[in-house]
Amino acid sequence: MIKYILKRLFQSVIVILLVVCVVFFLLRLMPSDYFFTEDELIKFTEAQKYAKLERLGLMKICPTCDGSGLINEDACPACRESPQASKGTGYVNRSVLAQLGDFFSDMLQMRVFNAKGKEVKSIEPVSLISYLSQKFSGEEPFGELKDGYSIRMMFNLGKSIRLEKNQYVTDVITAKMSVSLSIGLVSLAVSLVLGVVLGVLQARYKDKLFDHIGTGYTVVVNAVPRLVIYTIIMIAGASLLGLPMRYDATAEKPWLTMVLPVVCLSIGSTAGYMLWTRRYMVDELNKDYIRLAKLKGLSDRKVMFRHVLKNAFVPLAQYLPYSILLTVGGSLLVETFFAVPGMGPELTTAIGRYDLPLVQGIVLLYATMGIIGVFLGDLLMTLIDPRIKLTGKGDAR
Amino acid sequence: MKKLLSLVLALAMLATLAVSTAGAEELKNLNTYETKARELETWNIHYSQAAADLNVLCNLIDGLLTNDNHGNLKLNAAKSYESPDGGKTWIFTLNEGMTWFDKDGEVQADVKASDWATGLEWVLNYAKNDSYNASMPMEMIAGAEEYYNYTKALTESDGADAVKALDAEGKFAEMVGIACDDEAGTITYTLIDQLPYFPSVATYNCLYPLSAELIEEVGVDGYRDITWEDMWYSGAYTITYYEYQNQKVFTKSPNYWNDANCKRFDTVTVKMVESASVAFQLFKNGELDHVSLDQATLQGIYNETSDAEYKANLVEARPTKYSYQIHLVYSKNLEDGTTPDTNWNTAIANENFRKSLYYGLDLTNYFARTNAINPLSCQNFCYTGNGVAFTSDGTDYTKLVRAELGLDYDYTAYARVNAELAAQYKAKAIEELTAKGVTFPVTIDYYIKGDSDVAAQTAKVLENIFSECLGDEYVVLKTNTYISSLANEVRKPRKASIHINGWGADFADPINFLGQETYNDTAAYYSNAYSNCNDNDDPDLIAAYQEFTDLVTAAKAITDDMDARYAAFAKAEACMLNHALVIPCSYEVGWELTKINNYSKVYSMYGMQAYRYVDWETNDVPYTTEQMEALAAAYAAE
Repeated sequence: MIKYILKRLFQSVIVILLVVCVVFFLLRLMPSDYFFTEDELIKFTEAQKYAKLERLGLMKICPTCDGSGLINEDACPACRESPQASKGTGYVNRSVLAQLGDFFSDMLQMRVFNAKGKEVKSIEPVSLISYLSQKFSGEEPFGELKDGYSIRMMFNLGKSIRLEKNQYVTDVITAKMSVSLSIGLVSLAVSLVLGVVLGVLQARYKDKLFDHIGTGYTVVVNAVPRLVIYTIIMIAGASLLGLPMRYDATAEKPWLTMVLPVVCLSIGSTAGYMLWTRRYMVDELNKDYIRLAKLKGLSDRKVMFRHVLKNAFVPLAQYLPYSILLTVGGSLLVETFFAVPGMGPELTTAIGRYDLPLVQGIVLLYATMGIIGVFLGDLLMTLIDPRIKLTGKGDAR
Repeated sequence: MKKLLSLVLALAMLATLAVSTAGAEELKNLNTYETKARELETWNIHYSQAAADLNVLCNLIDGLLTNDNHGNLKLNAAKSYESPDGGKTWIFTLNEGMTWFDKDGEVQADVKASDWATGLEWVLNYAKNDSYNASMPMEMIAGAEEYYNYTKALTESDGADAVKALDAEGKFAEMVGIACDDEAGTITYTLIDQLPYFPSVATYNCLYPLSAELIEEVGVDGYRDITWEDMWYSGAYTITYYEYQNQKVFTKSPNYWNDANCKRFDTVTVKMVESASVAFQLFKNGELDHVSLDQATLQGIYNETSDAEYKANLVEARPTKYSYQIHLVYSKNLEDGTTPDTNWNTAIANENFRKSLYYGLDLTNYFARTNAINPLSCQNFCYTGNGVAFTSDGTDYTKLVRAELGLDYDYTAYARVNAELAAQYKAKAIEELTAKGVTFPVTIDYYIKGDSDVAAQTAKVLENIFSECLGDEYVVLKTNTYISSLANEVRKPRKASIHINGWGADFADPINFLGQETYNDTAAYYSNAYSNCNDNDDPDLIAAYQEFTDLVTAAKAITDDMDARYAAFAKAEACMLNHALVIPCSYEVGWELTKINNYSKVYSMYGMQAYRYVDWETNDVPYTTEQMEALAAAYAAE
């Protein structure tokens, strides 16, 4: 088992690295004009554009001319090699590999905080490698620190360049994630409890009125576009119950502003859990061991919950960790609809505004969550049903 | 007698208002909104010229002067100002007890006179501020242009780091006409010439303060990309919550120097919404305190087909400061973005062709997109916005322009449209342009954002207007879309034939408008970024532009007699419009439902002070139409 876990972990790391590299390269294929606001595009000279791209780590001052502004293609081989370098600017494109190298080498970064715990902006953070090498050679990487200042190691994915300008991507993602997570977990709990219980009841009363109502609900939820359902819920919730239409973390009762988003998030997954619980339960109910249990005189309740549900839950359990981790990513539709400042719309907004570090960070997060989710799902299945083996040949997964 | 009568009427209406609003309470917490397209880009007040940023930032840092609800200059950080020599030197004296504080209200430093020098140095330093806001001080303050050029040259020779190390002492103090005395709290600006309107510039962010201690704390790059959590505040509010594209909360600053003399909300929450229709739903649910209505909602309420309960609360908004124009593009490319569109470029250089558009387009239905009840409230005959400058007898500058044009506003008919004249110009244009090889109909490429239904509907209305007013055999308006960046996808490759865009003045002088259209002038924003007039070699077009530019230059040189200056500018503007180099389009005058007394808000047709949430009067229920009319009448009588 340990061997299997290590193997899967190794594979996961490779996949994540590949995803990050592919995204990193793809993003750098974009024309550099997209890094500027409308105002900047009109206003900036070429030299100012290059200076900004340098601040973003996409360009560098030409090593030959050192930004003297006097270079030309004949005198400067570095500029001659760079297709986008402009005569006299002293800037050349940085190779994508160099940028990727920086991205990975700066992932663990040392940052200086003052006594109040506020990061001291005027001292640039340094990468762990650079920090250790300076320490090793007897230097103080940040010079003499004032009293009360402290150095902490932080996970670093760069800083947002447009959406949350100058904020660390990790800080942005953490803040957004916590909002999505709180709403997502509540809705997951609601939909899991409701969905499984109603699914069990549907199976128990198969082909009766309750089952038909449940099936009708599932069909309607899946057939009607979500936006229509959300609009109905929003208008009904606001006009009949007086519930707020927007999520508001600063409201007097913030939980009240979460009600409509939670209802909307739960409505689809409740139908999903109902559908699959009913289906697996009905499958199990038709098996011989259930007939035997009934013949032995076990009560319906015991049969349903101790045997049928336990076995029917195994396939559902596989997706449970994934679903929990998926809540971190939020819901694009619900979060946009109810103005929830979560992760849902963040990726599309970041792509739309060409906020590269943020896009990279979010993709890294999603890739990691997806891989860990599937991995944990496999493990959970083996815990619930010891007959399932993840290693070995033949029937192993 | 007329004044007395209007005063009596206003008092009577106010008395009615007092009875009808008796028992109503003012809002302590204001809930307002912006559409998502208007999210702020930077928290650095010096590094922005965008209204979306300045509408927020004007609440967070106090400038020397502000405006009152009539648009008059009002003291703010300065307790007095004067010019001892008729407008060449301006001395501002600061209030005592002003401080810089962080978002939690913790005092960080005193606001000092030298902070204005630090702010100006930042603006003029090429390596620090990327030329943002540099143009105004460069044109006005002695030595500013020289210092800007010095930093630019130094950046190119010694690199940016050397220039970033410069501060408000040394070379800057030697070169630039600003002297600050921290002891006396005075800031003295020495200008290039007499500029009587200079105090209006003191409301704008190019002359805003900056603490040297903050720069020391966060560094130059840190200040350029400063966040709301790290910036220092000196204004009426601090930001206590901010989520990009979601919400920002302004909270009354606990250490505000002027607390005793101004009325502020406890909090102002600005919610970012997708569209006006979403905002209306939020207003209905009590989550917003005002909403501007889109055409469909307005018509529904007005015609009592939906939400009729709000009909009694419909209020016509006051015009915003933006004067919208149809900007004609004189050097346009085809769809590929590189091949010149010779057909269009030849046609638009022809004055008769332009005049046929000028006199032929009846934009009433276009105005109805903003104001379906009184569309002609939106009509605009001038390039310069109303209320920017006034002559010594209080006459609005635009009235001088209208007199030159022989046009005046008539709210029952669209006075500029003259179908007969348009037909004559059209016939001449067809004759002249056919001889030059132009083929008809001439295609007019118009670009809108692809994901905007509102823009698509408005474009459809425009297409119909062009078709009905000018005929499909003459011109065809073709609506195209861009994905995300107008500058990148349309303006730079020069794909559009026209742009409809609004311009608001930064200070109280017509040069702020007309200076954007001059010929062969690198500082002329619209000439360079929109019309590309410098790249069309038609001699008649060049002559028309040159005539206008010469008149602007002559008017600009008059600094000792403001009436003469405005009269000269009016002639220049009339020249531009008589040649139809630009076609005045509209003002934004919509309808709204509101709990805010629009006549109590800062109202200025220039600058960046209009969104200061200070001294606003509000009601806990939406004002009725009658109540707002009474407030308007009382305001007019003030």
